[in-house]
Amino acid sequence: MATAGLPPALSIKGLAKRYDDGTVAVERLDLEIPAGEFFGLLGPNGAGKTTLINAVCNLIRVTEGEILVFGHQATSLEARSLVGLAEQDPNLDRFLTVREALIYHGGYYGMTRGRSIERAERMIDVFDLRAKTNTRAPKLSGGMRRRLLLARALLHEPRLVILDEPTAGVDIELRRELWRYIRRLHREGTTILLTTHYLEEAEALCEDVALITGGRIVARSDPEGLKRQFGARSLEDVYLKAVGREAEPEVLTR
Amino acid sequence: MRPQPWRGLGWLAARECLRVTKLWTQTMLAPVVGSILFILVFGLSLGSRIKQIEGFPYQEFIVPGLIAMAMAQAAYSNNSSSIFQARSDRYIDDVLAAPMRPWQMNLGLAVGGAYRALVIGAALLVLAIPLTGVPVEHPLALAAAALLVVTLFGALGVVVGIYAETFDHHTFINNIVILPLTFVGGVFYSVTILPAPWYELSHANPLFYMVNALRFGFLGTSDANAGLCFAVTAVIALAVVAWSQYLFVTGHRLKP
Repeated sequence: MATAGLPPALSIKGLAKRYDDGTVAVERLDLEIPAGEFFGLLGPNGAGKTTLINAVCNLIRVTEGEILVFGHQATSLEARSLVGLAEQDPNLDRFLTVREALIYHGGYYGMTRGRSIERAERMIDVFDLRAKTNTRAPKLSGGMRRRLLLARALLHEPRLVILDEPTAGVDIELRRELWRYIRRLHREGTTILLTTHYLEEAEALCEDVALITGGRIVARSDPEGLKRQFGARSLEDVYLKAVGREAEPEVLTR
Repeated sequence: MRPQPWRGLGWLAARECLRVTKLWTQTMLAPVVGSILFILVFGLSLGSRIKQIEGFPYQEFIVPGLIAMAMAQAAYSNNSSSIFQARSDRYIDDVLAAPMRPWQMNLGLAVGGAYRALVIGAALLVLAIPLTGVPVEHPLALAAAALLVVTLFGALGVVVGIYAETFDHHTFINNIVILPLTFVGGVFYSVTILPAPWYELSHANPLFYMVNALRFGFLGTSDANAGLCFAVTAVIALAVVAWSQYLFVTGHRLKP
């Protein structure tokens, strides 16, 4: 559902990231995600997915390259306010309750108190967190933490939502529930960048999929296009061919 | 939504103060009780056996230094532990990704230490006046000295919180650097009674100037020129604030 006429939601040119220990996580990476698209980024552990996401969200020091979010430099205040991130590991403020975590997040993103409270209440209902409103993050179950993480990422109504393995470790019921909500967000015009190890998830949700390995994008198309390109029957086969591994379907599809 | 970084700063500062308030028995009550015990034990119990220092009864003389020590430790410990925990659990990412400028993140995270230190300082002042009869000769100078103390040690807490790799690192700086230097900075005595070279060496201790800036505000007297005490404390505070700002601008140690 790319939106014509708008600058791309994300435009990355020549991105490189070399960590202090010399590890090159991403090398000369170019990527453009049109506004309104549901984009999937697949790759093995250590492929550079999280590094790419952290570069977009100003969570790492980029070695080289240019990143634009809806035409704004990723480091600018405008770009930051347009992005919502749910990180892979639940990184929730241990001193705040569920309700406070949401309200304060809205505040960090410049919302008024009233608006932030209103959105927090909405997110609490959407993600079924009402029973845990006054519970602090360390006392939440894994599933509840994941819900809160997603609620926080969406609280300030970002136009680009980045979900780094949002369904890792959640039960099938919550997973389907999250899919429904993410699909609805996408229908409403939000651009989604999703990383996942669940290939059926990418196949079911994403309009456009890129495969990343060794810090480089090695293939990109819609799921059907990728299958044709690689002469594969499923995205899983594409994945295995693209990342150059021997078939280990039980591991890769979990 | 247009970015509103000032609002973000306000919320971040409020979050830091909320943390202090939620942990009030640990962050505020314990240091106040500890300092009052120092005043009672050293000042009121032993003080009667010590002649006046610089023309003041001993229990009055030690109050400014004890308040300086309590405020410095509170500002430092609060910020170093808060930032270390935020880094360790990675919830600092929520702040680093937010539409705020580096100085706003730096200031917002430092406010908790200032809030905690000022509440402790005010509580000790309110308790120490009736207990010891300590005067406040120069209220404006006292307020300025208190602000310099919380700025210096708040910023130091931010810096150590960013560099610390384990929780021990931040307690190490407190126990091995701040506490000893404050003690030998003239909290319990006037350095004028020290023989050479200890008298001269005391002047090389930066915390000596901080203690004496606060003492000037209370008693109207200090072991060194009051202007020099304020100037030295201000220069050190500025240097440490610049250091913490450098870390936020460059992302050094905050971002891999």
